[in-house]
Amino acid sequence: MSQSKPNTTFDVASLVEDVNLRRVGQYALVVLFLGFFLIPLETGIMTALKTNESLVRSLPFAPPVGDGFTLENVRYAIDTLSHAFVNSLVMAIPATIINVLLASMAAFGLTMVKWRGQMIVLVLFLIGIFVPYQAVVVPLSNFWNNIFPLARMLEPIFVMLPYFEGGHSRLVPLIITHVAYGIPICTILFRSYYTSLPDSYVEAAKIDGASLTKIYRRIVLPISKPMFGVVFIYQFTQIYNEFLFSLTLITGANSPEATVTLILPSIGVSTSGINFGIRMAAAFVAALPTILLYIAFAEQFAKGLQTESG
Amino acid sequence: MGRIQLDQLTKRFGEEVAVEDVTLDIKDGEFLVIVGPSGCGKSTTLRMIAGLESPTTGNIYLDGDHMNYRVPQNRDIAMVFQSYALYPHMTVHENVRFGLEEEAGYTADEMDERVVEVAEDLGIEDYLERKPADLSGGQQQRVALGRAIIRDPGVFLMDEPLANLDAKLRTQMRTELQRLQADLDVTTVYVTHNQVEAMTMGDRIAILNDGRLQQVGDPMTLYHEPENQFVAGFIGEPSMNYVRGHRSDGQIVGDHLEYPLDDRLASAVDKTDRDEFVVGIRPEAIDIRRAADGSASGPHEFRMTVTVTETHGDRNVVSLTAASESADHEVLQAVTDGTFVVDAGETVLVTVNPDAVHLFDGATGETLCNRQLETEHEPRRV
Repeated sequence: MSQSKPNTTFDVASLVEDVNLRRVGQYALVVLFLGFFLIPLETGIMTALKTNESLVRSLPFAPPVGDGFTLENVRYAIDTLSHAFVNSLVMAIPATIINVLLASMAAFGLTMVKWRGQMIVLVLFLIGIFVPYQAVVVPLSNFWNNIFPLARMLEPIFVMLPYFEGGHSRLVPLIITHVAYGIPICTILFRSYYTSLPDSYVEAAKIDGASLTKIYRRIVLPISKPMFGVVFIYQFTQIYNEFLFSLTLITGANSPEATVTLILPSIGVSTSGINFGIRMAAAFVAALPTILLYIAFAEQFAKGLQTESG
Repeated sequence: MGRIQLDQLTKRFGEEVAVEDVTLDIKDGEFLVIVGPSGCGKSTTLRMIAGLESPTTGNIYLDGDHMNYRVPQNRDIAMVFQSYALYPHMTVHENVRFGLEEEAGYTADEMDERVVEVAEDLGIEDYLERKPADLSGGQQQRVALGRAIIRDPGVFLMDEPLANLDAKLRTQMRTELQRLQADLDVTTVYVTHNQVEAMTMGDRIAILNDGRLQQVGDPMTLYHEPENQFVAGFIGEPSMNYVRGHRSDGQIVGDHLEYPLDDRLASAVDKTDRDEFVVGIRPEAIDIRRAADGSASGPHEFRMTVTVTETHGDRNVVSLTAASESADHEVLQAVTDGTFVVDAGETVLVTVNPDAVHLFDGATGETLCNRQLETEHEPRRV
């Protein structure tokens, strides 16, 4: 603070006074990291908005100018991915909901109910988390195609439905696979939340004569709403972005039931080369649902994380 | 309809013994307080009655029916938890109603009517649509009570229900609980670590220590006729003074005090072959005079120095040490009249009436001789 000047004029010196090397260093670091994380994103967006010609002639992160600007890439990406979008959501939303519900029930049974052998079951769940996807791809394909060809069984039903084609029946085994694979991690997430709830909730309900189902439905389920938000977002992102299972269980990128992740690798690739503008546009369009989900549930997400740690 | 019998109840958690061989007969309509320091097994005992824990050995009977294998719901009990266990997502109305939903013989309308009835009884009818988080501690406490009352059970079990309230509210709720229990005339088992709650509320008190039942009796009996040193020390605030010493020539000789035995105490001492004893004297039974009033006249008068005075308003608690000692070792605590003020460092004359003295076995802590009660009352009649 400078004492010589009256308060009415803004004192520039008072701002400069605090400047020292340490502060300069800190800000430089912040700017550096900001750039590190934001420039790829910015480059991606700019690339998506440029024509091929302008892409070649300008720096990757420079904004498109004049004729170089185009929305054609985005339009093309949306057109190509629109069916895949529906497929992905038809697959990911039910899979996530079933997954989260079952996981929450399993966690309830593993924490708030006491029974013999509970530890062994919990260990099985833990092991489930660590089985790598790659290890089960071949048996999985064998199971759904030869041992239990559920997709083929359901095909006639899907043919009769509006919008869907017979091939969409392949999404059903994919949903079941995702549910089975997602349950362990989601159960552990719910478990950590349920162990933090006071035992007296369940005990009081037991004394009042409530059955386990009633305790779950009336008490545990409503109380764990914030945790549902967290696990739902987490699991939806996982399933939506998953590639390997889709690749294994769905015939190919050109089939009607192909999911977004299955189409992304081939979009914008042709014999004449790679169209980076289209690829970037497609990547952003594909990421849109998860981004929207995060924005919509941001508050609940934060709340859930708070309650989990607190 | 609510007699509880515990028959040699024992509970072990692995190697650890939580409750050992507790036998208790709780009469119908009685208010029994189980009290003891933390970890003494009082909550475990309550939870066994509730059916939340199953006993390792021993039997529980409610109204003569064997309860060991019955689920809580079929025991005709209601329980109030220390944390209240109110469901945060339900309104007060829903919380109270929850207790009734599994009871047979109510229509939905009857349930709602009953909720309002109970709420009016407890003075929470204005808060029925609020969530528990919007209520004060006292109000939450009432809701928890409401949830127990609404089922009209044969037995109330209360696990430190007042522990989370502030001191003033606790006193108020204490009275209210007693009134409620008297109105409903329901057998109540009340667990607390607070001896004041135990003394003021209980028809009878059961004192537990290390999982073992020390003594069961009405408050006055526990206060005046404790069966052992633990009970004597647990009941009463400030707690009883102990002077440990050995017998020598008609006296109990301790480190800081030599106490001459009168005939009554001497005969109690003669009955045993021990020579380690503990003399117990309640702070309320000690008389203090200023040293200036005279010199030590009787054999039971001692010259002592005041180390600390705690002012309570209605009474003062004075810590005393032997006159010859330095002030770092406190020997006795005495309670004096609120108007009798002595300062630290002052020398006073302390009278310990032998009729008010308890004598305990120095090794086992068992009571050898309790105070004489008549002398307490006689002077007042004059």
